[in-house]
Amino acid sequence: MGEFKVHRVRFFEYMPSAIRALAFNSRSEKLAVARMDGSVEIFNRADNLFQEKVIPGREQRTIESLLWVGDRLFSAGLSGEIAEFDLDNLRVKYTLDAYGGPIWSMTGNAQGTHLAVGCEDGTVKLFEVLMDRIQFERNLDRQKGRIISLSWHPSGSKIAAGMMGMIRVFDVKTGHPVHRLLVERAAGTPRNQDCVVWSVVFLSDYTIISGDSSGKVKVWDGKTGTLIKNHQVTKWDVLALSVSQSEDSLVAGTSEGTVVQFQFLSQVLGQGEKEWVATRTFKNHTHDVRAVAEIQTAFVSGGMDTQLFVRPFLDKVECRTQASAIRKVLFPHRRLVSCAKKAGLLLFQYPTHLELWRLGESEGHGKPGTILPVKKNPEKLLHLKIKGEDHICCSAVSPCGEWIAYATVSSVRLYRILCDNNNVSITKVSKLPKVLSSASQLCFSSDSTHLFAASTHASVHVIALSQSGCKFVHTFKPKSGSTQCAHLLATSEDGAWLGSAHTDHHVHVYNLKKLKAHCTVPVYNSGVSAMAIHPTTNNLVMVHADNQIFEYSIEDKKYTNWTREVQRHGLHNLWLEKGTPITHVTFNPRNPAHIVMHDMNMFCIIDQTLPLPENMMQFHNQQTLQVLPEKERQSAMHAFKTCKSFQHLMCVDLLDDQSLVVVERPLLDITTQLPAPVRQKKFAT
Amino acid sequence: MAKAQRGDPDSSSEDTINEKMVDHVDSTDDEAPDEVAFEDSKTVALQSVKNALESARRERESLKEKRRKRQLLFQEQKKRRLLPEDLLEELETAPTTQQEQQLPSENKDEDEEEPMKKQRKASKVRSLQGNYSVMRVKDDTIGSSQQQAAMDFIQSRLYGKGIQRMTNAQLLSLEKKRGPNKGAAVQFANKQMSAEDNAKAQKCNKRWIRKKNLVPS
Repeated sequence: MGEFKVHRVRFFEYMPSAIRALAFNSRSEKLAVARMDGSVEIFNRADNLFQEKVIPGREQRTIESLLWVGDRLFSAGLSGEIAEFDLDNLRVKYTLDAYGGPIWSMTGNAQGTHLAVGCEDGTVKLFEVLMDRIQFERNLDRQKGRIISLSWHPSGSKIAAGMMGMIRVFDVKTGHPVHRLLVERAAGTPRNQDCVVWSVVFLSDYTIISGDSSGKVKVWDGKTGTLIKNHQVTKWDVLALSVSQSEDSLVAGTSEGTVVQFQFLSQVLGQGEKEWVATRTFKNHTHDVRAVAEIQTAFVSGGMDTQLFVRPFLDKVECRTQASAIRKVLFPHRRLVSCAKKAGLLLFQYPTHLELWRLGESEGHGKPGTILPVKKNPEKLLHLKIKGEDHICCSAVSPCGEWIAYATVSSVRLYRILCDNNNVSITKVSKLPKVLSSASQLCFSSDSTHLFAASTHASVHVIALSQSGCKFVHTFKPKSGSTQCAHLLATSEDGAWLGSAHTDHHVHVYNLKKLKAHCTVPVYNSGVSAMAIHPTTNNLVMVHADNQIFEYSIEDKKYTNWTREVQRHGLHNLWLEKGTPITHVTFNPRNPAHIVMHDMNMFCIIDQTLPLPENMMQFHNQQTLQVLPEKERQSAMHAFKTCKSFQHLMCVDLLDDQSLVVVERPLLDITTQLPAPVRQKKFAT
Repeated sequence: MAKAQRGDPDSSSEDTINEKMVDHVDSTDDEAPDEVAFEDSKTVALQSVKNALESARRERESLKEKRRKRQLLFQEQKKRRLLPEDLLEELETAPTTQQEQQLPSENKDEDEEEPMKKQRKASKVRSLQGNYSVMRVKDDTIGSSQQQAAMDFIQSRLYGKGIQRMTNAQLLSLEKKRGPNKGAAVQFANKQMSAEDNAKAQKCNKRWIRKKNLVPS
């Protein structure tokens, strides 16, 4: 595996944002997740829950509700605006003010022709969904008090609206309220605090199910407006409800961090009247669950503890497969740290600022596994606050450490940094080419003379950098008509090749010397989660979300023999079942057969000269190898060497001086900064 | 007040009688209480009533005085807020010239607003010192205040008074205590987390030592 001097970095104070809303598109199997900072992430359920797209947040954009209408994604929030997202170019397409104050909830009818939003001023507003925009149609009768939650009856004739202390049922045609269902507040709460109906669900048999701040899930008859059943689920609030498509199962998320499943069952199997029964309780979260979604055979939950949890219902799973495993998303599936390999600098990307750090130095050599004394502490060179309201979507530092670039959805900025001794000066490069209005990914060439920016409509701009300024060189556009922007870029060490991986799984390779498209890698059905070009052989190594590894020879335009070997032999089951995608690939310049890659839980070195592990073999075998005699060791060795001694990795990279940089973010540090959880009383504590 | 007047003399006389009774009962006690004549106690009672009346009157007067002063202060403030008279006179003449300069296409509403704006500008210029100027960078819209109110509502409902919450440290410590691999509470195990508390405790210790004069100076 080799010995490395390791920089163990723990000063990246990455703090994920809490999850506020979830929406699942059952047709395309895409899951949209809205976070408290206004960012929206799209996960692909069919592709190992890979985070395909991230739309960066914006100050003052607080999303309360997400909604899929066909393949279009809408959001509404407390800023009072409805927004539609451009999922190709990862930005907001347009926003429309509803003129009703903050919007608390949004729902769509089953036909996909209309949206309804519930506003602070007590109106339910209907919007018509047109081809390229939405248009206000009319208001339902205005009520006193805010509309917290909404649900549209599948037939489209009625809308249930959860309010303060009551639920109203509206007739959509006339706009008049038909029923008023009073929800009493919990015992012992002050008289001026009405019960809040946080969530409401309207089923096709005219049953209304509500979750409220008194901790009850109530089942109502929507035709007569009477209460059928009252389930006390928790002492705190029931914050979210979601019903399955077949309407036989319902999940409720609570402040306690539990998710309670209800099922529509009859008392005696196969006979008698069916009713809603609380069947199971899942405790996956430590903090409030703010959003739940039922997706076919599983449910997704997310909340204040910032984790996204997918848990299958075991009664609906026929055989154990990849798709039926429990999945947890803690960290983004893309890099927030960039590393200047030559200069030993790290650039940390936060939503609203960048931090540039110089790594520390140590002296001497120690035994493997020991801690070297630090000669020079790491120092923070730069804290760069961004202007404007948009959050950063990508950033990069050049390998020489002289240039920093970052992009938001509305602008790209390039800075030049001069470090001499202890003085750090930063100058903004003022005249950027006009084409560089936005970028979804940025990357510097290895000799720091060029900047590559992935832009809208799958194009990639090439900009030449020099002391005097920067100059636009070329724009690459893929030959095929793909329009989705690139989320990964990779350049070769000799500056001849540029690879771009797009969110529609296409990977294009461009020739930088001739400035033209070179080839397109055969499309694989899983997204690329990490890729890099080998410094000596110029092979493009791609790792996909399903953990498959491909090595593609750019010069020969075909997969290498090693890839064929891997495909023929197959990878180890433990590797394929890994729930976290590889987020970065790099190479060891001293040993060209080594590929270094990492995900959240481990980093590994793949030795291409060694045989691949059989499924019967032990996968994590370093400990065993140490005790084996020399002869057996040779036969027991395999290509994958994993290391788990550093936990919850944000970045692993090899510097030019052969030292390894490991950026850790312990989960404990994140947990201690979360908002307060509910008080738990445990016996004898 | 009247009640006290009626009740006081009676109660005092009763007291004296009681004392005498007690005297008779414990005759073993050497020290007899001083005898108080009926006249004396009456005068004392009357005096106290008088005092009470006096103090009430004084209080009322002082309250009145306070109110009067406050009224004066308000009036003064109102005056201060208004612009000096000479400036006002100037302004009266100014708008006419200003209006003449304006383009004829501007409608009436804006004309009406104009003097108001001028007043504001004038006052700002007066309060600024040095080479500064005032400009509006960002409008605080109704929307943002409503949004803030909505967020406050959520905050109060989920984290407000009466919602039983605990700290993350307590939660983690509970897990440490109950979980399979037990350990010390987080504030002891995690140095980073307890840094603030430690600093606070040390400060407290120092103060305590100084207070108790444990270290002779």
